[in-house]
Amino acid sequence: MKKICLPALLFLNIGLKAQMKASDVQSFKLKNGMKFLVVEDNSIPNANMYLFYKVGSRNEHQGITGLSHFFEHMMFNGAKKYGPKMFDRTMEFNGGANNAYTTENVTVYTNWFPSPATEVIFDLEGDRIATLSIDPKIVESERGVVLSERSTGLENSPWNGLAEGVQATAFQEHPYHWPVIGYEDDMKNWKQSDLEQYFKTYYAPNNCVTVISGNVKFAEIKRLAEKYIEPIAAQPTPPKVNIKEPTQSGERRIMMQKDVTTPYLNIAYKVPESKNEDYYALSILSDILSSGKSSRLYAALVDKKQIATQIFTNYRESFDATTFDFYAVTAAGINENEVEKAIYGEIEKIKKDGITENELQKVKNQKLMEFYSQVETINGKSNNIGTYEVFFGDYKKMFDAPAAFNKITAEDIQKVTNKYFIKSGRTVGILKSNTED
Amino acid sequence: MTQYIKQVIATAVFICVCSVSIMAQEYQLPKYQQFKLPNGLTVYLMEQKEVPVINVSMVIPAGAIYDGNKAGIASLTATALKHGTKSYNRAALDEALDFMGASISTFASKESSGIVAKFASKDKEKVLGMIKEVLLNPVFDKTEFEKEKKKLLTNLEQQKESPRSVIPAYFDKFMFGNHVYGNIIQGKKSTVRLITVDDVKAFYNANYLPNGSAIAVVGDFNSKELKAMMTKLFTGWKKGNNTNVSLASKPIMYSSFNRVLLINKDDARETTFYIGAPGVTRNNPDYVAIEVINTLFGGRFTSMLNDELRVNTGLTYGAGSSFSALNNGGTFSISTFTANKTTEPAIDKTLEVLNNLHKKGIDEAALASAKNYVKGQFPPRYETAGQLAGLMTQMFWYGFDESFINYFEKNVDGLTLEKAKTIIATYFPKDKLQFVIVGKASEIKSIVSKYGKVTEVQIKDEIDN
Repeated sequence: MKKICLPALLFLNIGLKAQMKASDVQSFKLKNGMKFLVVEDNSIPNANMYLFYKVGSRNEHQGITGLSHFFEHMMFNGAKKYGPKMFDRTMEFNGGANNAYTTENVTVYTNWFPSPATEVIFDLEGDRIATLSIDPKIVESERGVVLSERSTGLENSPWNGLAEGVQATAFQEHPYHWPVIGYEDDMKNWKQSDLEQYFKTYYAPNNCVTVISGNVKFAEIKRLAEKYIEPIAAQPTPPKVNIKEPTQSGERRIMMQKDVTTPYLNIAYKVPESKNEDYYALSILSDILSSGKSSRLYAALVDKKQIATQIFTNYRESFDATTFDFYAVTAAGINENEVEKAIYGEIEKIKKDGITENELQKVKNQKLMEFYSQVETINGKSNNIGTYEVFFGDYKKMFDAPAAFNKITAEDIQKVTNKYFIKSGRTVGILKSNTED
Repeated sequence: MTQYIKQVIATAVFICVCSVSIMAQEYQLPKYQQFKLPNGLTVYLMEQKEVPVINVSMVIPAGAIYDGNKAGIASLTATALKHGTKSYNRAALDEALDFMGASISTFASKESSGIVAKFASKDKEKVLGMIKEVLLNPVFDKTEFEKEKKKLLTNLEQQKESPRSVIPAYFDKFMFGNHVYGNIIQGKKSTVRLITVDDVKAFYNANYLPNGSAIAVVGDFNSKELKAMMTKLFTGWKKGNNTNVSLASKPIMYSSFNRVLLINKDDARETTFYIGAPGVTRNNPDYVAIEVINTLFGGRFTSMLNDELRVNTGLTYGAGSSFSALNNGGTFSISTFTANKTTEPAIDKTLEVLNNLHKKGIDEAALASAKNYVKGQFPPRYETAGQLAGLMTQMFWYGFDESFINYFEKNVDGLTLEKAKTIIATYFPKDKLQFVIVGKASEIKSIVSKYGKVTEVQIKDEIDN
């Protein structure tokens, strides 16, 4: 087949036509160690503030599982200046809204507001980082909230239970073993002292990267940061997560029961963390397998053989070695083993014959469109700049990503498939209604 | 790998996309042009050059309200548009779009069907040509259709694994009864099973007409060049007579007393419920004021509902309310969920909060906060080309123009406490409440019967009342 790969340079030129480039990101670091990344963008009269704390469920241990996520909730429940309920009430009164999310790796707080409210947002954030109060009564009612959050996830999606089971099986020693939401019994038993210790250790300015995009001026952001955040004392660097998951030496299988129409499958292969050189090839591989109806797995399993109704893959950012996941829902009247075999069949084809230049170029084109979507909104800018800074060690890598993806060759894809997609490195989970047969 | 968030925003927002406000002094709807082709198709063009991308949004009067006794046919027809055209078979179409990193999605909603597309500016000729093909020259391939149907039948069964996925359809059916707004967009197994590819062709021929449809294109292009291109592409679409237009305007018979629909799910670990009442039409002159009051009641994190059910009592992860407004009617609904054993306190609390809205009302400070919030959260809703394209087809469908948008801030500011009281008394229900509850009947039936006359159905059965 004729090679139609766009030269790297041309690719980059297209990328640069987008309004944003690396030099649009300005940065400074406070004396207490908090790093700020700022993008001035006056396309709408609004701004945002994204705070990335490097703490997630990987920093927990059994007994306090779920605490990172619980903390994400407690951070809204009152500090010295802005007491219970006042964080949200003040923000909303000033036209702002917020949310937050917790993963295995990070806890991220997101504020969206009209730009005249910027100073209030700094005041609110500074207050809770410096002087959060952990009121035992509020801890109890918030416990009910996260137990409801856990329950509603399990009630509404078979994936939650299955993915937790697969993760617990794939990781036997590393803290990715337990779910972000936590074990139900740990959730009911977190102690006041656990919370206080956790806050002091991880909610330190030196453990946080803050990204601000929107209708703001860099000098003004710096002034506000110095006023509201710089006086907050740094803390000792949080303890390192030392546990490395030992090499898996054989396939692991689990079976779970839930009243579902047809069986659900989750197959997880061990793969490296985001900073690894194979990240870009694995990310492209994921798209080749399942992005779009012409992708390998969709075309073969859903369209041609009609043995699955849904199929997708996932390889997300992480600090430590992680998993590359396949998810499939079996079609009616089909045995789930057939779906599992067909997935392996598609992996073997890539191992043996590689991929075509056309497929590779297709995914590169998709990646470029994704990049445009990421820089089209001020929220996309902040979230992605922060993600690259935290997971890849430098926000500039976001702007290098189109070139990094472009460098990947068909041979690289074949190489990583052979390297990581091996039977002894996989964990297979099946969820179905009848597990007795 | 999973992530857990502070709140699921989707449960707590005013769901109608067209509920817009704007920072009037700082921001006006960007300039756009509008024209009508001789066949009646309305075209909107707006240049936006932040990224080299183009977005398309299209609205066609071919929604589920025209399903008749073939529930699901509008949705299946919209999906089948992409099953191949005169120039592309299904696989070639998917492959070509995937290769460009482009997307064309076709779907049906309650009143209309639609197309949404996104692609790189450099591919505009090719993708706009494909949109034309999909819309004007679909071949409705029989094999592809049967595959789609089989998948849909399984999906309809799978949805029952998630109360959150099925409760909106139960709610609409319960609220609207036999009126076409009660039609279930995705259809039912018993009707979908019988729909043939010829039925779909007939539905397409009757309802996919340029007159009454609109297409909005927003992004990085030159308007003059695009106008010529659109005119050339869509002039050949033949005008027709839509004989269905008045279906939705028939009167809606809302219930005159409290009723409970209990949907039994044997393995439920929690109770999911909606409490509803008649809502408003999209063209209601108080639409903006209603949004402001709903923000206070159940449309944001500190709303009365979320504050009481989540923050004060920990009964749920989230509680909210919304108005869903269509051209001829609408609903108001409160939605939340709670553990089986706290079903009664959660429903009682919800009713208490609703009662307090009427009894205690709201004060000046709360009203000011809601106004600031609604205004402050507006601009990000119309930040991208895709959002703007969607806005323009909404303007077309619901018959409002940019003056409504550009004066939104003024309208919000103009809401007085006195007027707010009238809004609450007029549009927020006090009685004749409709309860739709998914949960474990053996544990909650005796509890829910105190709220109204109970009808019990099984989640495994088909939606029928």
